[in-house]
Amino acid sequence: MDSEKEREIIQVAASGTGMDTVLSRRQFLVFSGRAITVLATMDICRAWGSDSALVILDNAKGLVVADASRCVGCQRCELACTEFNDGRAQPSLARIQVGRTINFGPEGSLGRNQAQGLWGGGTFSQDICHQCPHPVPCATACPNDAILADPRTGARVVDTSRCSGCRLCLRACPWDMIRFDEESQKATKCFLCQGSPKCVEACPAGALRYVPWRNIARETAPRTAVFPVISAEKARGCLDCHLGR
Amino acid sequence: MRERAGGFAGKVLRVDLSTGKIGFDDTVDRYREVLGGTGIGYQVMWEEVPPGTAPFDAANKIVFATGVLAGTGVPCNGRTAVTTLFPSCWPKPLVASGHMGGQFAAKLKYAGYDALIVEGKSDKPVWIMIRDGMVQVRDAGHLWGCGIRRTTFEISREMGPDCVVAAIGQAGEHLVPLSVVMNSASHSAGGVGAVMGAKNLKAIGVQGSGAVRIAGDRSEWERLVKFHLSILGSNNQHVVPSFPHPQAEYYNPSSRWVGAPGRRWGAAEPPVEINGGLFDLNRIAFRANNGVFYLGEQVWQHTVRGNGCTGCPIRCHTIIKVPSVAAKYGIREVAQNTCVGLLFGRSFFRTLPGGLMSQAALEASMVGMHLADDLGIWCNYGQLQRDMIKLYYEGTLHDRLGSKEYASYSWDKFENGDPRFLFEIIPRIAMRQGELAHDLGLGTGYLLDRWSIPETAWTGDMVSSYWKFGHPKHHANEDDGQCGVIINTQYNRDAQCHSHVNFIRNGLPLAIQKKLAAEIWGSGDAVDAVGAYTPMNIHKARRAKWSLIRKELHDSLGLCNWMGPWVASPIKARGYSGDDSLESRFYSLATGHQTSREELDRIGERIFVLHRALTIRDMGEIDMRRRHDLYPEWIFRDSNDSQPFTKGTIRMDPLDIAKAMDMFYEVMGWGKESGAPTAETYARLGLKAVAQELAAKRLVPGAQP
Repeated sequence: MDSEKEREIIQVAASGTGMDTVLSRRQFLVFSGRAITVLATMDICRAWGSDSALVILDNAKGLVVADASRCVGCQRCELACTEFNDGRAQPSLARIQVGRTINFGPEGSLGRNQAQGLWGGGTFSQDICHQCPHPVPCATACPNDAILADPRTGARVVDTSRCSGCRLCLRACPWDMIRFDEESQKATKCFLCQGSPKCVEACPAGALRYVPWRNIARETAPRTAVFPVISAEKARGCLDCHLGR
Repeated sequence: MRERAGGFAGKVLRVDLSTGKIGFDDTVDRYREVLGGTGIGYQVMWEEVPPGTAPFDAANKIVFATGVLAGTGVPCNGRTAVTTLFPSCWPKPLVASGHMGGQFAAKLKYAGYDALIVEGKSDKPVWIMIRDGMVQVRDAGHLWGCGIRRTTFEISREMGPDCVVAAIGQAGEHLVPLSVVMNSASHSAGGVGAVMGAKNLKAIGVQGSGAVRIAGDRSEWERLVKFHLSILGSNNQHVVPSFPHPQAEYYNPSSRWVGAPGRRWGAAEPPVEINGGLFDLNRIAFRANNGVFYLGEQVWQHTVRGNGCTGCPIRCHTIIKVPSVAAKYGIREVAQNTCVGLLFGRSFFRTLPGGLMSQAALEASMVGMHLADDLGIWCNYGQLQRDMIKLYYEGTLHDRLGSKEYASYSWDKFENGDPRFLFEIIPRIAMRQGELAHDLGLGTGYLLDRWSIPETAWTGDMVSSYWKFGHPKHHANEDDGQCGVIINTQYNRDAQCHSHVNFIRNGLPLAIQKKLAAEIWGSGDAVDAVGAYTPMNIHKARRAKWSLIRKELHDSLGLCNWMGPWVASPIKARGYSGDDSLESRFYSLATGHQTSREELDRIGERIFVLHRALTIRDMGEIDMRRRHDLYPEWIFRDSNDSQPFTKGTIRMDPLDIAKAMDMFYEVMGWGKESGAPTAETYARLGLKAVAQELAAKRLVPGAQP
């Protein structure tokens, strides 16, 4: 994408936000963070006939946050997630993960630090989807553009008709929050239950809340080392915006 | 049913430790008629373990079985029934089951198995690894001699941190009849650890990533789950809080619903202030705090959180942090358990400085949990400690124990309630060291035998709480008059039945209980106020039958009979009624097999009668009434000599109890003289083959060989 075309797109995006003045270069840089979200909402890259793959998603409107000190480890959140959405009880498929920290806490059983969980100090923690801002690791890794922002909630959701089951998104999530449905051979992740998260409703200890989105990606230690493989098309899309700034 | 089957995981796993052979049965084909849990356990014992088998023989089997609803979001579903020949059952081992909660049941289901049947005996220590479809028998040489805690850590390092390990401690290894298998830090099945030990089976590690399918409409399932949550009370289904509150019409100080706005989990980080509405479904987990209920108000400040089984919103286990015990006794500062498990240490002492709710009592409890839950000792519902106290304070220990051994204990610590005494007695029980510790670990019956003490010395004294066959009462006449007595006659260990007491003790006023009773059992006369008992009537017999059936149903569906049934509720708008069709509605939706309440109750009765048939066969005795359905003399005594049916006494009347047994046998369809099921009853329950086998041995009333 040449720079003239890029400026033109940004101006359209600015117009979409009501800030349709001519932007200086500085204003452009300041504003572009907001504008690109609008671009994504309007799917404007594709509308423009760009050949870049989708790399930008609008921020989510909300996310689920967890209070570890209230969690009682009952896993009712995991069960509500899968039973009420999928018709089966399957914590391994749940888009909120508690069971994996119940026994030994987030550190696991190998004893780097003193054990937590049931066998240690008694602390569990709930792992939740961060509904990451751009660059959304799972969406960026997907070679099929199968992870999109739900128009109602902004939740990053898996479009199963596009998902090829390659599992690259599983490798890309630093918090190990993408699940894989072995039955359908599709990836799945937290989609915020269309704005009424079942897990929040099900928690018997008020340990989960659905709140307006904020960026918690940098506040949480990664659970796993990530090895994202980004397709050439996606990588080109990144370069379009980031190169030369 | 097959095409839309849900609920069942589908397979029963068999591991033969003698041959290393691993096999599978189809659950629905082979066990559908007995649901799961104790149903599978009893059927396996009936079909595969010959009469005369001893608990530690290779021919004995141990069945870990869960049920259709385990692993789902049905509240209170996390139970595994562990069925085998009980080594503590005296004078002859008979079939019984222990039940453990925790995470084991759900994991086993997610791995694809409704049950695990362990057969044979390994010639060296092993553990069983189950990871979804992969099952292996692995060497446990490095685990033998380790406590449950270390065993769990080692296996978790091998399998991964979110596997579930059910392990025995040193007590099970040393074949102590009063030993447990334990999972998830504090969830144990009593009386079966030594059976595992005899098989050289140290542990079972389970990891499962699969699903339990819900066959029915998922929206309907969601509605039913939420309805069930709405009619839950607190621990033991106490449906009113223990304190007056503007939002609650009734309260009852004996309720375990002790959590309320204003209370706090003081050892949480940061502390958790309990707030919100009393009936808020997002606050259910704060209602129960068994640490506080059993150990006093001081425990609020030590509470880290509530804990419990998979899927259960009522957290009956309390995680407690008491830093002082780490420095004073060299133990971990965090411990957890529920009910008598919390009291394991405290119960050894008749007196404690400051009383039962003191700091000393709390510290004794912490030490007891630390030792018992690692060494894997079973308290036999507190009987172990009561036996010890009775032996000591009646002078028996002093008179009969060898002087050298007697002197090896610090009796001043015992008398003064010093927790350090526990380090002298508890490890010795686990290792069978010395006559006292060895015999205490055998269970009451064998202990009395070895000490040449007549059983009547225990059955005459209510302080001992001893009932029969080596085991104590479990919610008998002290809680529920004749109904409690009947229920306590029926099992080969303590009754473990809560169907009856969870209704009587739900906290509602008697008038409301009578109204509910009339709807369920045909008359308000089915219930009395506790300690204000009226003479026996047929409605009480029906309630006893219903209670036993519901217990077996829960034990076979994977539900918790410590929490169920749910026939009363906290909801004023419903007239405080619950719903006793819940089990069948969940079963129908989960499996896709429409089953009525009556049909499910019939299956529950079949399971219970199968237990009866096993007992009759293995005793080789048809006269259950006189040889099995026994009750202790103490139920007919009162320290104040109050007469039966007067207010304030739990004293029963002998003729009335005889009438109660008559009526119970009548509603069960059993012979009134023998207390043995008739051929017609077996046939009605689809147990004709069982009846034929028993008839050939003259063990069915009126049957010709």
